[in-house]
Amino acid sequence: MTDLLQPHSGNFAALTGFQLNGLAEGPIHGTTVIAVKYKDGVLTVGDRRATGGMAIMYDKAEKVLSLDDYTLISISGSFSKAIELVRYLRMAFKYYERSQLQAMSLDGKLNELGKLIAGNMMAAMQGIGLVIPILTTFDKAKNEGRVFFYDGGGARFETAEYAAAGSGSTQIRGAFEYIGRTKGPFREMDRDTALREVLTLLEIAADLDAATGGSSKYLPLAKTITAEGIADIEEDVLRAIVKTTLTAEPAMVQG
Amino acid sequence: MSYNFYDFNNALQQRNEYVEGRLRDGSPVVGISYDGGLLLLTLRHTQRKVYEVYDRLMMSALGKQSDIESIRLAAIDSTHREGFQRSEDDVSVQRLVGFGLSPAVKRIYNDNNTIPLTFRGLFVELNKEPGEDLYFTLGYDGEFRNTHRYAVVAGTTYAAEQAEESLKDAHLGNLEDTLKAALKAWGIAKSQLAPLPEKLDDDGDEDTPKPPTPEEGLKTALADGLTVEAAVLERHTKRESRFRLLTQAQLENAVADYR
Repeated sequence: MTDLLQPHSGNFAALTGFQLNGLAEGPIHGTTVIAVKYKDGVLTVGDRRATGGMAIMYDKAEKVLSLDDYTLISISGSFSKAIELVRYLRMAFKYYERSQLQAMSLDGKLNELGKLIAGNMMAAMQGIGLVIPILTTFDKAKNEGRVFFYDGGGARFETAEYAAAGSGSTQIRGAFEYIGRTKGPFREMDRDTALREVLTLLEIAADLDAATGGSSKYLPLAKTITAEGIADIEEDVLRAIVKTTLTAEPAMVQG
Repeated sequence: MSYNFYDFNNALQQRNEYVEGRLRDGSPVVGISYDGGLLLLTLRHTQRKVYEVYDRLMMSALGKQSDIESIRLAAIDSTHREGFQRSEDDVSVQRLVGFGLSPAVKRIYNDNNTIPLTFRGLFVELNKEPGEDLYFTLGYDGEFRNTHRYAVVAGTTYAAEQAEESLKDAHLGNLEDTLKAALKAWGIAKSQLAPLPEKLDDDGDEDTPKPPTPEEGLKTALADGLTVEAAVLERHTKRESRFRLLTQAQLENAVADYR
């Protein structure tokens, strides 16, 4: 017990000796995750496919995960690394809050995530184990949703409207701009309008990217964060919208 | 320097007296299970007293704040290390108190060159049903005992037993009733520190003044500026955290009876 009489900093990495390192074996890549602001907060959706090379490994992957009651992380890249990172962060935030008797600040949480990504850079540069997350949260002080994304080196960027990550995200990037300019900004849309737009984008990403799963087998994950915290979109709402975003009938190829 | 049996016995007694004397006036802690969760309640001055330890674990204690704090941090560190390196499911109050804290506290108590910890704590674990909830009380000498459904720690063992007696037949469904029962038990534990003298002195005087009733004990405490602190672990919640510190508004209904 004597070592515990030293000043206590709530440093979870020091407690557990955690390091996000080593090369993940058989990394599973590929994803599309999307986060947009809407009227009441932030909306995040993610496809459910996990691939390894050319193989589809898993069709029920959860890539939108909660870190605490107001923070979601959407993961893309190496699935195994990302799961390890999420497990670490979730416990590190709780550990800090319980031991220090105050919640970690938003900036503290964002830096913690950035440090982990930066520490993982060597593995990432060898093409193995790259993790690119989007972090979404509801900022109670500002009373608005906030969306952050990272690059492979751990640098953090805040976005005004939308963020997308994963192998399918580049194919749809321009479409966000198009929607913003023709239908108005996402942050002014109500939940179901914004949901329809992002589910359509996710379906397009699935059509254009082999590593992104469509909605025909399993419903995508869709979660919101508002002043009341994190909520799952109701299944019937999701199902009704997905029906309209899927191509209705397979087309016959002529000739 | 060598000890004979008398020295040894005397040393222990002195250590016990030192701690018991400081614990005696401490604010009791009451823990009760109800359908929706598990409640820990105490009265305090300004320092927080009810603490979240792990996903399904919380604690509160009486004693020196510095001693409570070092045990609290030791509990948080060991549960979080275990939960991360193995699994959240492997963290249990019985492992924490029985194998972690108790031996460490006992080592300090046994060491005649250190001041013993002034500490009496209640550690609780939330489970699926109220009847499965676990309560571990831990003393300054490392001794612990466990019970189900409810437990009280107080300035004296007698006081804790009296308060627990009042909870024996309570079937508690909602938080409101549980809060009221916990407050009443706190009043009993605070006021009934020792058994009443069995008979009067030869000259007919009462040897000791009668203790205040539980209601009086609570009213005095509130009038002296103490505030009720209560926290619950919620049994049925989808949130990431089950621990909730109750707000003064949530407590007001139960506390109002004693103002």
